[in-house]
Amino acid sequence: MFLAAQAFIILWLRFRPHHVEELMHRLDAMGYTPSQFITNMTISLLMIMPMAMLLLPLYSTLVGGDLVAKEAEDGTLRMILSRPVSRIRLLGVKWITGIIFSVVLTFVLGAFGAGFASLFFPSGGLFFFWPPEGLFVIFGPDQAWQRYSASIAMLMVDTISMTGLAWMFSCFNIKPAAATILAISFLFLFRILQELEFFKELQPYLITYHFRIWLDVLREPVPWWKIGESISILLAYNVTFFVIGTAAFQTRDIKS
Amino acid sequence: MIELQQVKKVFAGRLAVDDLNLSIKAGEIFGLLGHNGAGKSTTIGMILGQVWPTSGKITVCGHDAISDRANALRKVGAIFESPVFYDYLSGYRNLEILSHYTASTSPERIRQIIEWVGLTGRENSKVRTYSHGMRARLALAQALLPKPDLLILDEPGDGLDPEGIHEMRQTILRLHREMGLTILLSSHLLTEVEQLCTRIAIMNKGRKVFEGTLADTRETQRWVRLRVGDFARAAKILREAQLIAETRDDKFVQLIGKAENNQLVECLVACGESVYEIANKEQSLEDFYLTLSRNQRSQ
Repeated sequence: MFLAAQAFIILWLRFRPHHVEELMHRLDAMGYTPSQFITNMTISLLMIMPMAMLLLPLYSTLVGGDLVAKEAEDGTLRMILSRPVSRIRLLGVKWITGIIFSVVLTFVLGAFGAGFASLFFPSGGLFFFWPPEGLFVIFGPDQAWQRYSASIAMLMVDTISMTGLAWMFSCFNIKPAAATILAISFLFLFRILQELEFFKELQPYLITYHFRIWLDVLREPVPWWKIGESISILLAYNVTFFVIGTAAFQTRDIKS
Repeated sequence: MIELQQVKKVFAGRLAVDDLNLSIKAGEIFGLLGHNGAGKSTTIGMILGQVWPTSGKITVCGHDAISDRANALRKVGAIFESPVFYDYLSGYRNLEILSHYTASTSPERIRQIIEWVGLTGRENSKVRTYSHGMRARLALAQALLPKPDLLILDEPGDGLDPEGIHEMRQTILRLHREMGLTILLSSHLLTEVEQLCTRIAIMNKGRKVFEGTLADTRETQRWVRLRVGDFARAAKILREAQLIAETRDDKFVQLIGKAENNQLVECLVACGESVYEIANKEQSLEDFYLTLSRNQRSQ
């Protein structure tokens, strides 16, 4: 699904060039040579944007919600727990699996995005324009790959956190679909709160607010302090998810 | 091998197991009987540390099943009704994954077990292609992975055809004979229990209502087949004479205490009732179980 969406976006940009032309005009107006910046990196990042907003939360929570709850629903959990394995160890294994999945999923998204874009667009610099975040950046070819890779690496942290949230709900005595829906609902709720002016004071406490690290890493200069703070908060969120999930799972009865 | 002391389990205000004391000794094939919802699976869940008891103490292989679960289950294998595996993986891969959760088992050991349960040749096929009987064999294989001393079987015959049930019965006997395993068998297939178990416990509404050997069940109640002129009148006479406790199907009477057949005949003849036939009835586990269930219901 990811790959199909990526291919569609790239082909759309390639064969409906007026979207790209708009970007070129914008660059031209600022005195840059557009051909140097309408590159594989620029197009790939442009393509990743909607996926990071929609598909990534969906896929990560779908898998995270299944990690424990699906085993309980299918009955394999009872088989596993008839062995002398502790519940915490079992959850640890599931948690690590979730992290590996998140890293691989985001890596594939980034790598295939760049790969697809390279088929139709030349390599070179990186141009990224995202008004909601006040982001307008241009990097030369020497920095383009570095920034792109750093952005994907930060996106991995976001994906891990989304999977972790769904994993936590998965540890409760609920259906896997319910765990996924709960996680997505929470993410949407946080996102809505984050956007409302009334809740501005709450922003630093909302997990979705810190998901912007993958965009922050594109800023010039890179706000490392802010990124470090967000990563620490996301880490704290993840630890909280693990503790709550483990506590819920530890106390529940596993029945057929 | 297994000790339950005053074990109690309450699920959201509903009493599932109440004040259960149970002792299963090494080398036994112990049957846990009861109707659906009697508390058998909850009891097994508590023994395996999957269900937390509300109160009481559970010891398995000399270790506390709650606080020292890893050691308690080190030499325990378990099979559940309708065993579930990762259908999209092979039988071999399923066994590998299950063994990796604890200590990884050598490929030789896995092959050895596959051969023992008779799955050789199909171990690399996906589990979704397995028949019910093959799944049961794979379940047995996973239970044997840790070289168990104790095997816990929760409704192992469920969903199997008569041939599968026969095979399962033979396998259980073989495990007991060849490996000397202690076996706890939960079932509502009374004939299975009768043919396999050395001792049984019967549960009803979460309480143990009987524990003993099969011989005990035969001695507990003595039934006599009685053919008389008027069964209802004969039953009334015998009840008044305090010789019988119960009647069944208009032809069976249950003797009280040390009452003997000749006393019944003498009493009936003295009251002018014709007696055509009197014979002891061999008490099956089913008879015992049904009578016990009836008595429990009437209480």
